[in-house]
Amino acid sequence: MNPMKPKTFGSNQEMQDAEKNFLYRRHQRARLAQSVFQLTTLLAVIFLATLLVTVVNKSMGYVVVENKVNPATLSDRPLSELNNTELAQILRENLRKNRVRTLERTGFLEDQSQSTLVQLVEAEIIQPEVVESYNLFPSLINRSKIKADAAVSYPNAKVEFRYWLNGVFLINSMASQPELAGVRSALLGSLQLILITILTAFPIGVGAAIYLEEYASHKSRINRLIQTNIDNLAGVPSIVYGILGLALFVRALQPFTSGALFGVDGQNGRTILSAGLTMALLILPILIINAQEAIRSVPDSLRQASYGLGATRWQTIWHHVLPGAMPGILTGTILAISRAIGETAPLIVVGASTFITSDPTGPFSSFTALPIQIYNWTTRPQPAFQHIAAAAILVLLIALLSLNAVAILLRNRFAKRV
Amino acid sequence: MPRNTLNRQLNMVQDEILILGSMVEQATRAAVGTLKSRDLREAKLVFEQDQIINEKRFAIENAILILMATQQPMARDLRTLAALLEVNTELERMGDYAKGIAKVTLRMGEADVNLPMVEIDQMSELAVGMLHRALGAFIEENANVAVAIPKEDDRIDELFNTAYSKILHEMVANPSTIDNVNLALWVIHNLERMADRVSNICERTVFIATGELFEMDGMDEEDLNV
Amino acid sequence: MNQPSKYVIETRGLNIFYGDFQAVKDISLQFERNRITAIIGPSGCGKSTVLRAFNRMNDFVPSAHATGEVLYHDQNINHPSVDAVQLRRLIGMVFQKPNPFPKSIYDNIAWGAKMNGFRGNTDDLVEETLRQAALWNEVKDNLKKSALALSGGQQQRLCIARALAVRPEIILMDEPCSALDPIATLKIEDLMRELSQNYTIIIVTHNMQQAARASDYTSFFTMDTDRAGIMVEYNETSLIFTKPKDQRTEDYITGRFG
Repeated sequence: MNPMKPKTFGSNQEMQDAEKNFLYRRHQRARLAQSVFQLTTLLAVIFLATLLVTVVNKSMGYVVVENKVNPATLSDRPLSELNNTELAQILRENLRKNRVRTLERTGFLEDQSQSTLVQLVEAEIIQPEVVESYNLFPSLINRSKIKADAAVSYPNAKVEFRYWLNGVFLINSMASQPELAGVRSALLGSLQLILITILTAFPIGVGAAIYLEEYASHKSRINRLIQTNIDNLAGVPSIVYGILGLALFVRALQPFTSGALFGVDGQNGRTILSAGLTMALLILPILIINAQEAIRSVPDSLRQASYGLGATRWQTIWHHVLPGAMPGILTGTILAISRAIGETAPLIVVGASTFITSDPTGPFSSFTALPIQIYNWTTRPQPAFQHIAAAAILVLLIALLSLNAVAILLRNRFAKRV
Repeated sequence: MPRNTLNRQLNMVQDEILILGSMVEQATRAAVGTLKSRDLREAKLVFEQDQIINEKRFAIENAILILMATQQPMARDLRTLAALLEVNTELERMGDYAKGIAKVTLRMGEADVNLPMVEIDQMSELAVGMLHRALGAFIEENANVAVAIPKEDDRIDELFNTAYSKILHEMVANPSTIDNVNLALWVIHNLERMADRVSNICERTVFIATGELFEMDGMDEEDLNV
Repeated sequence: MNQPSKYVIETRGLNIFYGDFQAVKDISLQFERNRITAIIGPSGCGKSTVLRAFNRMNDFVPSAHATGEVLYHDQNINHPSVDAVQLRRLIGMVFQKPNPFPKSIYDNIAWGAKMNGFRGNTDDLVEETLRQAALWNEVKDNLKKSALALSGGQQQRLCIARALAVRPEIILMDEPCSALDPIATLKIEDLMRELSQNYTIIIVTHNMQQAARASDYTSFFTMDTDRAGIMVEYNETSLIFTKPKDQRTEDYITGRFG
């Protein structure tokens, strides 16, 4: 019996007891409900934490590295301190002529960027190979055992603690060896892609929402049809949008999306533009629905006040409804961006490359994106690829959080603006 | 029907007015009675009991003010309460008239005076009767009855004239009694004024019913053709 | 049309429908210039509907349509050629629940004026209307404060100032005090009295005492048997509340209605 049972008020003893019992059971049920909700929240937190911990776990740890050629033999200074000429010279000295000719197809060695040259030296000459790698927790727990094992199995190798997500990882572009691969092109590709998506979907989505909520008659059959269709489109699987994008943007609108219309040569329709527009279509229905909801939540009394002063419909929308709905619209935009940035299937269909070393130069370039890269790396057998996949996931999460932070900042500015 | 509180309290005030009315009737009869019987002790009683009439008048007035403040009466309710205030005052004045008559009795004391008691008696009966019926019509808000009553004022005026000439005659015939006979003029004056005030009550009755206020005199001839 | 110029707006045989439902029937009312006219009556008899017909706010209800005339400056405002936007500037409205914009006090007043093309000194305009609305002394120290931080009564006076800023001729008030405490209510009634020197005011109110205190003329509406609102009586306020002509008016005013 709970000694802290609250006092009950009743007239006669019988009623008091019955009421007490019933009251006690009601309190019990209430406490039970509260516990259930706390439990579910706890579960959610646990799942989230597990995800983060798994990714972080894979993204750092001890590695045993063997170099084919010792960098110390190439130069007495570290590679990053050498200039282009010196790096080029190292390359010419150590590579076969054919190989040098292949590398010089895009331009003389001396003319390429320093970081590219460093990367080339590492890839072509030094060829570091991770022969053994460990996750974070094993690394922390079995430190001495790892070092002992490495000394036995790989006497020429170095044991170091590596953060797979590091500055070099961000700067390097794709390479076939996991040790040298980076996410630069994928990251830039994703960012440019998202930019096009937002710039297309946001105005169209908000505009459509304004029309549907403020101008269109809610009762007309056509408008109800449009509304129903938008609602349904929000649930269509993303690969369908990929197929749509392929047919529409990549093929049918090729002159536009390949840039031929704008004088760009030698490109097919599989460009960032196509992908951006496809993703825009993908998130458009949710954006519209969400924006409609936000516009609807602006109290009608504000509109009435505005009309009462002799404002036109557009003045009312621009000065009162939109600013009032902006916080809600931006929240919805955050959700839509979060979805778009992680979508893989439509991008594959529309033609994201899985192996691209050059950076995207504009809307009309071929491209790759972070989810594609991650997908690609996780399918490879070498354990090192798993590590860099984890690192790339972290990059994706950080990019996502940054975008969200910008949107949240904007939303708070709107909400506070009085 | 809503406004139960207002209705109940209005009825209470109206009952109190009726009680005040009967107190005034009784005081008038008693005062005239003492004039007839020359009972000085009785006269003193009547004189003092006017105090009770005054207190009742203030109590009723207070009740009406409270009712107005708390119930925000409108239209007919408002006219009714305004009329009740007015009638309250009229009744108190009539009470003063009765007190005045008792005072005359006290003033006369043991002196031997020849008064026109027949006329005085009749005037008193008539006036009291008019008052009684006027109050009844007032409470019932019966404008038809109320309109008819002021006409009886004529009879009182006739009696007044008769009494007046008798008094003058007496004053000339017995100059030594002038002081006391003079007092009798006050008595018939008070009774005649009482009838006038009854007419006011009838005016108020019509006001409640129609919202219109107008003077109802009988044939009021103050000029005396003696 | 020989209209006496003392009537600034009037209705003739006005009927308003929401779809098939008739909300008000055959309303004929005249409103005298620079006077305060109150419209009273039980709930649901179309008082607000009629009020909103004067500045064509019913246009925003898709199912609403009207027959009959509402004459303003000798023109039937329901005629398609009338510009409703301009009409609403000339006939302003104050609503039941104070609805200031979520902006500063200054911007609330300035916005309406600017939007209508005002080019003069905005600071002066803001001060003038705030003084007219008896709010200046309470807010003059911080005009940039959010309008939402004001009390209910102050917000309502701000809404009045906002309406005044666009220089209306008539001010419509739809139960302006029903969300306010008694002191704020009395302040607004005083304000109405002052404003009536320069503006014509039409107020719908549920509060009979307010109509009795604050208006010059009162019109009593009630519901007919078919649930359409009709006008029963229209007269000077003093007469309506001391000797109404219609028994229905009397019943409503004395509270013995229903």
